[in-house]
Amino acid sequence: MSEATNREYDFSEPRKQSAAGIIIMFANGFQKIVRALALPLILIIVKSKDSGHLAMILIVSLCLLTIVLAFYAYFSYQKFTFFLDEKKQEFIINSGIFSKTSLTIQLNKIQQVNINQNLLQQVVGVYSLEIDTAGSEKKEATIKAIDHATATILKQKLLSRDQVEEENTSPEISDKTVEITSPLLKLSTNTLLKIGITSNYGASLLLLTGFIFGTLQLFKDYTDALEIEREQFTQMLNQGITFFSMCFLAIFAIIIILGTNIIRTFIKYFNFKIIKQKRALAISSGLFTHKNVLLTPNKVQLSAYSQNYFQKKFDLLNMKIKQASFDSADKEDSKKSDIEIPGCNELERDEVLNMILGQVPVNGAELKPNYRFIFLQTMIWIAFPIAVFVLLSTYALPILRNYLLIIIPYIMVVGVMLYFEFRRHRLYVDENFIIKRSGIWDVEHEIIEPHKIQAITAKQYFWHKAADVGHLIIHTAAGVIHFKYGNYTHIKSLVNYWTYKIEVSKKDWM
Amino acid sequence: MKEFTNETLDTGSLPKYEEVPLNSLSQKYWNVMLINIFIFLLIVGIGITAVLIFNADIRAYLYIILGIYVVFALLMITLYRASLKKRGFAVREKDIMYTSGIIALSTTVVPFSRIQHIALDEGLFSRIYGLGELRIFTAGGSSGSLHIPGIEIEKAKSIKELLMKQINEAD
Repeated sequence: MSEATNREYDFSEPRKQSAAGIIIMFANGFQKIVRALALPLILIIVKSKDSGHLAMILIVSLCLLTIVLAFYAYFSYQKFTFFLDEKKQEFIINSGIFSKTSLTIQLNKIQQVNINQNLLQQVVGVYSLEIDTAGSEKKEATIKAIDHATATILKQKLLSRDQVEEENTSPEISDKTVEITSPLLKLSTNTLLKIGITSNYGASLLLLTGFIFGTLQLFKDYTDALEIEREQFTQMLNQGITFFSMCFLAIFAIIIILGTNIIRTFIKYFNFKIIKQKRALAISSGLFTHKNVLLTPNKVQLSAYSQNYFQKKFDLLNMKIKQASFDSADKEDSKKSDIEIPGCNELERDEVLNMILGQVPVNGAELKPNYRFIFLQTMIWIAFPIAVFVLLSTYALPILRNYLLIIIPYIMVVGVMLYFEFRRHRLYVDENFIIKRSGIWDVEHEIIEPHKIQAITAKQYFWHKAADVGHLIIHTAAGVIHFKYGNYTHIKSLVNYWTYKIEVSKKDWM
Repeated sequence: MKEFTNETLDTGSLPKYEEVPLNSLSQKYWNVMLINIFIFLLIVGIGITAVLIFNADIRAYLYIILGIYVVFALLMITLYRASLKKRGFAVREKDIMYTSGIIALSTTVVPFSRIQHIALDEGLFSRIYGLGELRIFTAGGSSGSLHIPGIEIEKAKSIKELLMKQINEAD
């Protein structure tokens, strides 16, 4: 790097965003106001029948609003500064026109730094830089407009604390990895297609149903509003249903689901790349919005991979790498800090795992659940619903009696599913790793290292005391691992072993 | 990986959490529980009375409702009494554990090095009896944190001090 650029990338002085930031801020403000005002405005226009004055007033007030917003954007741009205090190891962002806020982030609390670009930012040619921090109070910082070179260097500097440390401890590894510039993993169009065909049926189905209901509602509103004779339409629809056989409809639905799946996959994972950097993985993807995530291995809490029957045929695996999420350790959704690798083969999986965990984990001693596991599930999913169904059909709703035969295929399907769930519910334990396998269709392996455990719970229902059966719950910063119906003596000894390991090991969990 | 050792570990000789004698919660906490149960029952009772006053049809079932109410109250008191006996905590050299539950008895162990922060709460009724609730948070979210109620406030404070010291040493 030359001296001139060195000065340019000196972050010790407070500096502003890219000038294009004004545009971004303006657009953001505009978007917010439009969102807030759109509905009431439309209502006002629709409700009041007279046209002339109202339109004028609206246009004038809109113009005024735009001017105010422009000024506001300009001044927010002027007041938004950020700088890096290398001595104190702090990154400081000052902002606000009327009420000033100063956000201080300690570098060692930084969890990850993301560089993203949305559509508008792509047009203007700037990026946004987001800083995720560890800490129970939510303190996230975003710089909305920054050019790519500055962003990359700032990102490196923000994460430099770790890198300095790691370079000291393991100079050989970092030297070796720097040379490798070609991506560790790159998804081709072909792979993306395969991923689209084989995964996420559930999500697409939901999306599709939502979409269909949405259009139906819209259609109804439309016909209501315009007082079109709906009978024509319903007649056409009815004729349509008799026309197409149900079979055709089913095929159509499958095609649509697969289509949306493929499109979604392409939008989300187009040009998906993983690049090895100094002791970190840089992951980028996206068709319209570029997503850039830097993953530092020691911050990973839980790695998981899953595969279903079709994916197995294609030699495809889905990987999820979970980092500590402080706001949502309990929630299943909102996994912002999760990183998903939609498709890789076993070799690539091993390479990524090797990068994160330092070695490729092997399944250790196997723990099987007790047969009681399947017993309770049978009660919940087979015995109880069938009892309700039979009772309803005999006493309350005689119409249901015609469908009593459904019970047989239901028992068969659910029985097979429960059997597979039982067969796949396993815990593998060895010195370095805890691996939990689970799933019915998608078989998932969740891998954690014992020193990432936050707390351990052993639980036993009193009627299981004699059978020596109990449950194990491992709490990590990225969620919970639950092993059910295990041998309780064994579980207790594992709890003792892991507490010993955590308390003896000098490794920190982050 | 310089000082890597891998001696054989006799897992049977590791300290066993299940054999640690537990400190039971303060007997005074039973009073706090009773007050809470009483308030709850009072509110439910007021609700039932209001329904009975405004709806004449239901008055025919007065005795059944009363019976259910009494059974429910007794059940609640016995269950809470049983749960108090089951609850207990222990502080070891390197971790803290808490046992609770009536139907399912569960024990959670939190190593000191994984504690994020600690809070000591004094509820209104707890304060009357000089009790406090220790809340120990980990990065494992709410499922991975401990809530130990009914500890004498002095004891709770000293435990908190001890834990704070341990956390700071770990850093």
